[in-house]
Amino acid sequence: ILDDPDLKDIDPTVLKHCHAAAATCILEAGKQKADISAISTCLEDCKLDRERIEQFCTEYQKNKDALEILLGSIGRSPLHITDVSWRLEYQIKSNQLHKTYQPSYLVTLNVENSDSGSHPDVSFSCTMEQLQDLVGKLKDAAKSLERATQM
Amino acid sequence: KLNVGVDTIQHGVEGLTYLLTESSKLMISEIDFQDSICVLGFSDELNKLLLQLYLDSRKEIRSILSELAPKLPSYHSLEWRLDVQLASRSLRQQIKPAVTIKLHLHQNEDQTAQVLQTDPSTLLHLIQQLEQALGEMKTNHCRRIVRNMK
Repeated sequence: ILDDPDLKDIDPTVLKHCHAAAATCILEAGKQKADISAISTCLEDCKLDRERIEQFCTEYQKNKDALEILLGSIGRSPLHITDVSWRLEYQIKSNQLHKTYQPSYLVTLNVENSDSGSHPDVSFSCTMEQLQDLVGKLKDAAKSLERATQM
Repeated sequence: KLNVGVDTIQHGVEGLTYLLTESSKLMISEIDFQDSICVLGFSDELNKLLLQLYLDSRKEIRSILSELAPKLPSYHSLEWRLDVQLASRSLRQQIKPAVTIKLHLHQNEDQTAQVLQTDPSTLLHLIQQLEQALGEMKTNHCRRIVRNMK
């Protein structure tokens, strides 16, 4: 904003104040999910004229959804699973034990950390029975989700 | 009590251990085992005892040996919980469903539990992917390999 040619005649301090005020107003409105009438009333109390209020509200309305998504994504949460990869192997022997003949799965859960954007993936191995147990439990969770949405 | 020297006993135990672990590791058949110990020149009765000992302890020895192979953390169990986020410091009046999961893993006798979270659409994606994984063992390709590797 400080580099904008249209605004170069205005005192930078005033500009900063305006920017901060506008940003605070927008963020508060977004946080509270305020509707247009509430915002208009608030701006009227601040003695802005009709035209400016309408302009502000139109712009706000245009960007409201993006703003809500952004605000909703701020905050801490446990590591978030984004994807899963799996590998199926058939073990035939190791140096300690020959003729093992067992299928085994290697599962990696791709995980995203909202704070640092790092990717501390979780990997583990499991037998077929264990994978069935895992999938069964996930399906229970999904079913319970479905039931919750129908309530 | 046995009236033999300590060294002899030690060698005896070591020999027996080696015999049993190698036989269990290679999973040799009864006949092969009998042929192998025949050359040692023991009595028939002793040979029979050794064979019986081998057959009895083979399974246990193999399960102990399987613990020595290189391993990744292995799955133990999973707990889940359904959550709905209603508000946060930055945004009020939300309805954000999430599934919180506690994954229990084993690694070399250590148990770890990790708390993870996912959203409903990712959960469905996970289920679909893992079901595909489970289905792989039943394909012709895998079945053929399993048959031919025995």
